[in-house]
Amino acid sequence: MPNDKKSEPDKTGRPAVELVDVCKVFDTSATPPAYAVDHLSLKIASGEFFTFLGPSGCGKTTTLRMIAGFESPTAGKILLEGHDVSGLPAHMRNTNTVFQSYALFPHLSVEDNVAFGLAVKRVPRSERGDRVAAALDLVRMRHAAGRKPSELSGGQQQRIALARALVNEPSVLLLDEPFGALDLKLRREMQIEVKEMQRRLGITFIFVTHDQEEALTMSDRIAVMSTGVVRQIDDPVGIYERPTDRFTAGFIGDMNMLSATVLERQDGVVEVLAADTRLKLKTNAELPAGKDCTIAMRPEALTFMRDSADDAAFAGKVESAVYVGTDRLYNIRLQTGEAMTVRVRNSRADSVLRIGEKVSLFCPSSAIHLLSDQDKK
Amino acid sequence: MRNRRQNVITLLLLAPSLVMAILLLAIPLLVVIAYSFAGRDSYGGVVTGFTLESYVELFQPAYLPIFVNSLKIAAMSTAVCVLIGYPIAYFIAFRAGKHSGLLLALLLIPFWIDFMIRMSSWMVLMGRNGTINGALTGAGIIDEPIRMIGTYPAVMVGMLYAFLPTTVLPIYAALSGINRRLLEAADDLGAGPVEAFWRVTFPLSLPGVMAAMLFVFVPAMGVYAIPVLLGGGKSIILGNLIVQLFLDFRNIPLGAAVSVVMLVLSSVIIVFYMRMLRRLEEAHA
Repeated sequence: MPNDKKSEPDKTGRPAVELVDVCKVFDTSATPPAYAVDHLSLKIASGEFFTFLGPSGCGKTTTLRMIAGFESPTAGKILLEGHDVSGLPAHMRNTNTVFQSYALFPHLSVEDNVAFGLAVKRVPRSERGDRVAAALDLVRMRHAAGRKPSELSGGQQQRIALARALVNEPSVLLLDEPFGALDLKLRREMQIEVKEMQRRLGITFIFVTHDQEEALTMSDRIAVMSTGVVRQIDDPVGIYERPTDRFTAGFIGDMNMLSATVLERQDGVVEVLAADTRLKLKTNAELPAGKDCTIAMRPEALTFMRDSADDAAFAGKVESAVYVGTDRLYNIRLQTGEAMTVRVRNSRADSVLRIGEKVSLFCPSSAIHLLSDQDKK
Repeated sequence: MRNRRQNVITLLLLAPSLVMAILLLAIPLLVVIAYSFAGRDSYGGVVTGFTLESYVELFQPAYLPIFVNSLKIAAMSTAVCVLIGYPIAYFIAFRAGKHSGLLLALLLIPFWIDFMIRMSSWMVLMGRNGTINGALTGAGIIDEPIRMIGTYPAVMVGMLYAFLPTTVLPIYAALSGINRRLLEAADDLGAGPVEAFWRVTFPLSLPGVMAAMLFVFVPAMGVYAIPVLLGGGKSIILGNLIVQLFLDFRNIPLGAAVSVVMLVLSSVIIVFYMRMLRRLEEAHA
């Protein structure tokens, strides 16, 4: 096991993983080619917890499998610690994988499963025993050393799969939806435990999930993917609070989106028209007058009471209300026809509205996200 | 009450097969066992009664080589079949892709033709003036025809041909049941293709190999036609010993005793094997 050390991602040195214009096409006979991964370029820092997040079929698992060496890229390069490994099979790469289905060897005991990588590398038997014991301690499964995988629960098997990968001291650990088969409570526990483990070991973790909450909880940085393209890379706060892309805004959390048109642009401020309302928003984006765009607001950013004169205001009618414990969700139909969801704390005095009631919706302009409509593709 | 009624219904439904099994399997077997304890008059007739004469005669040193010979041929056939069948099964399971169904069918199609016809074809192929010798002399590779019929390799060719499908199918079933993620895991943990085979694929296919060995060994013990037709009937094994004792020597009790011993021997081997198989399967569960 690597020495215990609290470590921060090393963003200055050589990246642990670098993807350069990586493409993957499974059916090369199709025209135009259907890209599973479409010209993907990114760098993952050493010691970073990096997550590929996206719906199924977005190319996240294919990307992970290319880094592991199970798939070879159709075009582009994959560098591990600066070395081009694009043509190398998995067994010649210093990466290890935790599979969604665990993929423990059913004919071997827990101990022999964990020792597999060391035995293959001809690590001396005495050292092997120590390292296997340390890895089992790390996942708190030492007591199960002599058992068969079939005698363990899903969560326990997942721990063994982690130990089996980590015992090899990989430079990069790849995790393919590792908690997908676990129930919610166990999944939460494992998320915290694995994150803590990663911080302690300082190993680069590359994680694949479709669960946004999981991604936000665990990651240093998240790459949101759809249709083989990375839509946005940022830390969890940035992904949630500053989405720059329509897909990301819609995929992470709930978001109200309105189509808008740029009226004019001056010194980093654009004036847009959305749902018959003129809004002035700060932005760095290239948005010339006349261009279509999207504005997005979280349901919790909307209120029925004006806080400041700058607030954007929309007129509408309450269509339905849902009580969800701490909050109420209101579906508001704007006069221009668009539907908006508003999330209001029940502790607020104005929280109870009648269905059919006419209301004004307010949103501070700082909470309005301006998204360019063009797809990155 | 209900249970008893269900039992009666079950018994009624089973009745046709039970009657068949009793008439065609159990009774003949009992007859054979009874004959093995019977005596014999000087004209070859069976004298009913109880005597161990046949079994005593059977344990004369003269018969031992025949048992050993049979075991040897069966063991050898098993080894040849598994050694050649395994790569075929492996290829069909892992490399043939969408052609695997076709390959399995090709393997089985010859078995729609009668066994004796297939063996006679091998005699034509391997005969002194047969197809193989004709082609080789015609091509000028050899001057004199090679003697093939009546040799040990010819018997092995026949055995291989007869038992290859029963070898390939269980091994194929075991191999195709292996989760491919396990092979990726082995690859991921640093094992190259050869090492991954010996550490993962082969151990996981062992139950199939064990089953295949059983399916070859047991029938090979009692095989009759192949050694007679392709081996020239020169080395006596249990199969033709039984035929000779019954038909040529008219020593029905001794023939029956050989059959019973062979049956017991095979049963012991089967029980032993099934236990090992179960242990393997438990280990893999």
